[in-house]
Amino acid sequence: MKGAALKLVMVGKRFKGKAGPTEALRDINLNISEGEFVTIVGPSGCGKSTLLNIVAGLEESTTGWVEMNGHRVHGPGAERIVVFQDGAVFPWLDVWGNIQFGLRVAGVRRAERETRVEEYVRMVQLEKFAHARMHELSGGMRQRVALARALVLRPRVLLMDEPFAALDVHTREEMQTVVQDLWLKSGTTTLFVTHDVREAAVLGGRIVVLSQRPGTVSAVLTNNAPRPRKLDHPEVAEQIRRSNEILKAEVQWSNQDKVPL
Amino acid sequence: MVESRQGPVVTSDREPSVWRRVRDLVPIVLIAIAFVALWELLIRVVPDSIWPRYLFPGPAQVATSLVSLWTGGLLLRAVVATLARLGVGFLISLVLGAILAFLMVHFHTFGKGIQPYVLGLQTFPSIAWVPLALIWFGFSEAALLFVTIVGSLFAVTVSFADALRTVPPVYLKAARNMGSDGMDLILRVTVPAALPHLISAAKIGWSFAWRSLIGAEVIFATVGLGFLVNQGRDNLNLPQVMGMMVVILVIGVLVDRGVFSRTQEWASRRRGLLPSG
Repeated sequence: MKGAALKLVMVGKRFKGKAGPTEALRDINLNISEGEFVTIVGPSGCGKSTLLNIVAGLEESTTGWVEMNGHRVHGPGAERIVVFQDGAVFPWLDVWGNIQFGLRVAGVRRAERETRVEEYVRMVQLEKFAHARMHELSGGMRQRVALARALVLRPRVLLMDEPFAALDVHTREEMQTVVQDLWLKSGTTTLFVTHDVREAAVLGGRIVVLSQRPGTVSAVLTNNAPRPRKLDHPEVAEQIRRSNEILKAEVQWSNQDKVPL
Repeated sequence: MVESRQGPVVTSDREPSVWRRVRDLVPIVLIAIAFVALWELLIRVVPDSIWPRYLFPGPAQVATSLVSLWTGGLLLRAVVATLARLGVGFLISLVLGAILAFLMVHFHTFGKGIQPYVLGLQTFPSIAWVPLALIWFGFSEAALLFVTIVGSLFAVTVSFADALRTVPPVYLKAARNMGSDGMDLILRVTVPAALPHLISAAKIGWSFAWRSLIGAEVIFATVGLGFLVNQGRDNLNLPQVMGMMVVILVIGVLVDRGVFSRTQEWASRRRGLLPSG
């Protein structure tokens, strides 16, 4: 299924915290075309995960709204699937059981379910581990299960919430390649949140840089490096440098802001 | 792909071997033998004038009493009657406890409001329910069931609620995101996610149910293990009193080890929560 277009209109979020109200996000406007891969990078606590949860419908925005193909979204839906930081794979199920979870919920018939699960087990190269349980897998393998579990539902939008943050550098780069390859094959609109500028630059067709809290869009960089990309591609390196510059300026500016006059 | 070449990291969901199970039993049996030996020694050392035999029978007398209860068919009847009551009462307790626990966790304010009462009722001695049970239901099976249920329901509720609260919210979030909600979410995610804790909770509940039932049987049953204990007292038949106490203890140990510990182990092993060694 083709990816959907996403439109974020004046999205803002306030929390009623214990230390009074906090503003997590302010006036986020974004237009994402069908099949685009957009990365969102920002300092920790800038509300980027909140933004993703709002798009997923797992949290409500305080102001503004999210449109998918011109229709406002309300609540969670299987056409917008999130891959969480720790994967949130289910330890009581094996690899196969995890991947078929959403299909069973949707009531997909057994025969079709089997074919689809098999296809995605193969796609993330876990054939040998189809009946392994989660504690028997490495962190990278668990994230592949999470990825397959999301993609098997053929979502119109894939939302990834720092999915590789907990992985070691080597596995992380390997997973970036996996995600890139899967995206090239599926063409699913992907919104990928990370605090790692290098990751944002190697994956994103566009890189959205968020400011410190309250998160606003500081810059949107277009990244035309040819795919499949590697970290050492000159254009990727250039994007990393530019994003870092923006982030650094952002942090300095907001620190200055806090100095009492 | 480097990792896919590696084998599974641990294979801890294997059943422990028969040999291991037998080995685990050795110290338990040794303790029993030591206890009986000590008991026998005491009987031989302490003179009858200080502690008369009819008040303090030896293991042999107790065993003889048990054998005669068994050959008379009384013991088997009592075991069957008590276990049947326990089964029914405990099952009702589990169902009601599960519903209450779910309501407490799902409706936060309700849960907070009712929590102190449930905790209070959990510590409430089950024997104190007996007068009420007798007035409402007479000397009947229903009265025994009532005491068993109220004696375990609140313990079940509290530990079920605790078990449900252990479910990481991210599992529920992920499942809702994939379209699961309502009963589907409970059965597909909440219950399996909490399973090891739910089994521990059931184990706690069973011990409460067992205690309450035996207690009530001692007071007013006409058949059952507790009744046989009390019958021994009425006839000043100390071997029967002690023998029945041993039977009650042994059944408790068997159910705990045979049913609950094994299911618990199985559930944890599947999740990799136990080391394989």
